Amino acid sequence: MSEVINDKKVFSLLEVTLSIKKTISERYQRSFWVKAEMNKLNHYSYSGHCYPELVEKVDGKVVAQMKTILWKEDFLRINSNFLNTLKEPLKDGINILFNATVNFDPVHGLSLRIVEIDPVFSLGELEREKMETIEKLKKGGVFHLNRALSMPLLPQRIALISVETSKGYADFLKVISSNSWGYRFFCFLFPALLQGDRSVDSILYQLRRIRRIKHHFDIVAIVRGGGGDVGLSSYNHYLLAKEICEFPIPVFTGIGHSTNETVAEMVAFKNAITPTELADFLIQAFHNFSVPIHQMEETLVSATSGIVADEQAKLLSAARYFKSVTNQLLIHNRHELKSYSRSASQHLAYYFQQKKLLIADCLNRFRRGSNSLQKSRLMELSTIEKSINLMDPINVIKRGYTITLKDGKAISSLADVNPGDQTTTITVDGIIVSKVVNTKRNDPT
Amino acid sequence: MNEKITYTQAFEELQSIVEEIESGQISVDELSEKVKRATFLIKLCKTKLTTTEEDVKQILKELEDGEE
Repeated sequence: MSEVINDKKVFSLLEVTLSIKKTISERYQRSFWVKAEMNKLNHYSYSGHCYPELVEKVDGKVVAQMKTILWKEDFLRINSNFLNTLKEPLKDGINILFNATVNFDPVHGLSLRIVEIDPVFSLGELEREKMETIEKLKKGGVFHLNRALSMPLLPQRIALISVETSKGYADFLKVISSNSWGYRFFCFLFPALLQGDRSVDSILYQLRRIRRIKHHFDIVAIVRGGGGDVGLSSYNHYLLAKEICEFPIPVFTGIGHSTNETVAEMVAFKNAITPTELADFLIQAFHNFSVPIHQMEETLVSATSGIVADEQAKLLSAARYFKSVTNQLLIHNRHELKSYSRSASQHLAYYFQQKKLLIADCLNRFRRGSNSLQKSRLMELSTIEKSINLMDPINVIKRGYTITLKDGKAISSLADVNPGDQTTTITVDGIIVSKVVNTKRNDPT
Repeated sequence: MNEKITYTQAFEELQSIVEEIESGQISVDELSEKVKRATFLIKLCKTKLTTTEEDVKQILKELEDGEE
């Protein structure tokens, strides 16, 4: 239908595009399988159609890119297949294997129309991503970090990452707040999205807030439930898993799903299948603290009363021993005393007997002795008496002598008297009073 | 007794006292003091199980301070 203008064969734009369309549709009659990375899904909720951005990268550089269309009906069917197989909806940033036709539209140009996406391929891709995350964590030496923390003796203060309206949150609170032992927990909610692509950033944001005030908490619990098994691949996300690994206090998970364990759950300090199970675990930790205390209390009572009873028994036995020993000693001493006293009295009696005999003997001897002494003394005395009698002046006077006295004293020398002195002379039959007329000394010759 | 003691410390101290008493390596003179201390620690631990002292206002304040 071309026309000739100025000797030139000229086509209209439509003719050209229709020609290209014809060529392409002849060349690409059948659909074929393509492998590519879906950078963006670009789902328009108003129309329900998607315009995915597909790329192929080599060393991070885009080497191919093409406009793609996924019509509403196809999207709904494929997405439902994905949910069944992957437990994940179609989403950005995954590798897909898709069946497509090449289309050329005169207005919209060249595009690929996706008619089918293989969920099994993407499942493998997700699994590969998960393995990559695990590999990276292990290589970085952080994989076991949170698990290596020590379990707090009482996980009492809980930083709870959850959604206030979720069933899991309600279940968790119900179990820990209404336990029949009266255990008290302190829960502080850090609300976050818990599934889908945005959950990674949302949970990371809250974890970083908790990290700043970690001294208020013993553990972190990520609790989810009632949300089905969809949209959990975010828990395989490297950054989220790494933050959990490196978190300074134990992170517990109770995400509540039936699919394979996610990386976040693998690296968490403790993973409980459901929020309820997590709550039970925490109560058990309280039991683990409480029961030994009860046991110690009982041990304390029995051991203490044992010690007291032992000491009492010792004291009693010591007292008995003391009593018996002192009794024996008393009896022994009493016996000894009695025997000493008996022997002493015997000895004394004998001693007195001996002394009595001795005294009697002395007395006899004394009597005998004194008798003879008396006789001899009497004889001596009579001899002396005779001598003395002989010497008596009376007897001298009787023999014819006299004694002349002056002033009562016998005159024995001329010196005793002077002429004129009065003297008295004693004779045998009376006295003569005289006066001295003269004195005459004897011749010395 | 107003001393600040964590339940870990309380628990461990209690354990060592009970072991000491149980082993019989304790004199009657010390016994009374130790039993008194153990009783205090048991009471403390039991109280810890059934009460919390966290202050929500303080936590909120610290969170806000960090986010300014």
